[in-house]
Amino acid sequence: MQDIIIETQQLTKYYGKTLALDHLNLRVPRGCIYGFLGRNGSGKTTAIKLMLGLLKPTTGSASVLGCDAQVLTPKTRGQIGYVTEGHRLYRWMRIGALETFQKAFFPDRWDSQLFDEMLDYFDLGKKQKIKSLSNGQRAQVSLALTMAPDPDVMIMDDPTLGLDVVIRRQFLEGMIHLIQKKGKTILFSSHILSDVERVADRIAVIEKGVLRADCTLEEFRRNIRKVHFVFDGQIPDVIDIPGLLHKRHNQHHLELTLVGTTDEQIKNAVEATGAKDYAVVDLNIEDQFIEFTAREKTKPLFQWEA
Amino acid sequence: MAFWIQISPGSKQPIYTQVYEQISQAIIKGDLAAGDKLPPVRKLAAELVVNPNTIARAYTQLEQNGLVSTRTGAGTYVIDPKLRQKDAVHISALCERLDSIISQAKLLGLDYGELTELLNDRMKRFYHET
Repeated sequence: MQDIIIETQQLTKYYGKTLALDHLNLRVPRGCIYGFLGRNGSGKTTAIKLMLGLLKPTTGSASVLGCDAQVLTPKTRGQIGYVTEGHRLYRWMRIGALETFQKAFFPDRWDSQLFDEMLDYFDLGKKQKIKSLSNGQRAQVSLALTMAPDPDVMIMDDPTLGLDVVIRRQFLEGMIHLIQKKGKTILFSSHILSDVERVADRIAVIEKGVLRADCTLEEFRRNIRKVHFVFDGQIPDVIDIPGLLHKRHNQHHLELTLVGTTDEQIKNAVEATGAKDYAVVDLNIEDQFIEFTAREKTKPLFQWEA
Repeated sequence: MAFWIQISPGSKQPIYTQVYEQISQAIIKGDLAAGDKLPPVRKLAAELVVNPNTIARAYTQLEQNGLVSTRTGAGTYVIDPKLRQKDAVHISALCERLDSIISQAKLLGLDYGELTELLNDRMKRFYHET
């Protein structure tokens, strides 16, 4: 039994002269929900399409279930469920016809009962045409179509983009339902970090095509922190502390954003700088992400005059 | 079940600590009594729409801190308070959390007396006998 379900090796993609993905090395272990994070245009969709063989890499490779993404066999494809960004479905089809169409790709695995139950739950009928559905209803059909073949690997590209809270929650419930079965693996991208925090075991953060973090959610939550140092006199220009990401200061306060710095290292820096007092501030996941992906800016976006 | 878990994703506190704290509070306040069974990990994960490993982690921590005991195949039960351990590891973990609360209080500008008063007041809610 192989333990790495999705793997990319030095995966690189250029669109013309534009570098979209830069030597990405990812390993998604079996049985985990993997949150794939990054700002708009960071390369998430490109990476996902490469994993599924929908794009050709410039260099490097990707594999799913041990099978090279460029030559995925029908058998391996039949084990993968894929939700596209924006839930693109054939607009002219009725839900029932779409089910027949989709089922053909998963001949031995289609769970008609689950599909019917999900439609029922969503108040959708098989005679309804895709083009008559709202965005939310189309997303629900897409979720049912992806879950019905009981995929071993579910890959979802920003599945809850623009959806209301109720439908977003249904997607999360779908993920939890699937992962509770033995040996299933899920990779999904999202910008809604509180959703990611609910369901993900591991996260990857990519920025401008480069992998910036690949760790358990818990490590991410624990390791990115802010520390405030309070000074009586002059704030030192240089501060020597491991894991320093950003620093900001006003007259007496120095605010540091730290990655992976231990309490002991913080205490050492307090002593070395002669700070009068300090406080460690835990951040929520959104602030952690903003701090982690932000570049040092000299000027804020909006400057308020006092 | 005499208690209700409400989690807030996106808050400063990690989800497993929220689950851990709400269950341990329920045990300490007596809403969950010795011998009560906690819901199975998978059931609670589905109910709260949270990764099952997150729930499992909270349960493991409850077990490590001597609040519950897991019997293979039978589930997770609240332990009789008289049998709970108060060993050095648990005390030192407690001290760490107290330290963080005290430094937060200092940052808020509370002095020694004010913080003592506040702590006393809060403690009275838990130690009914005094």
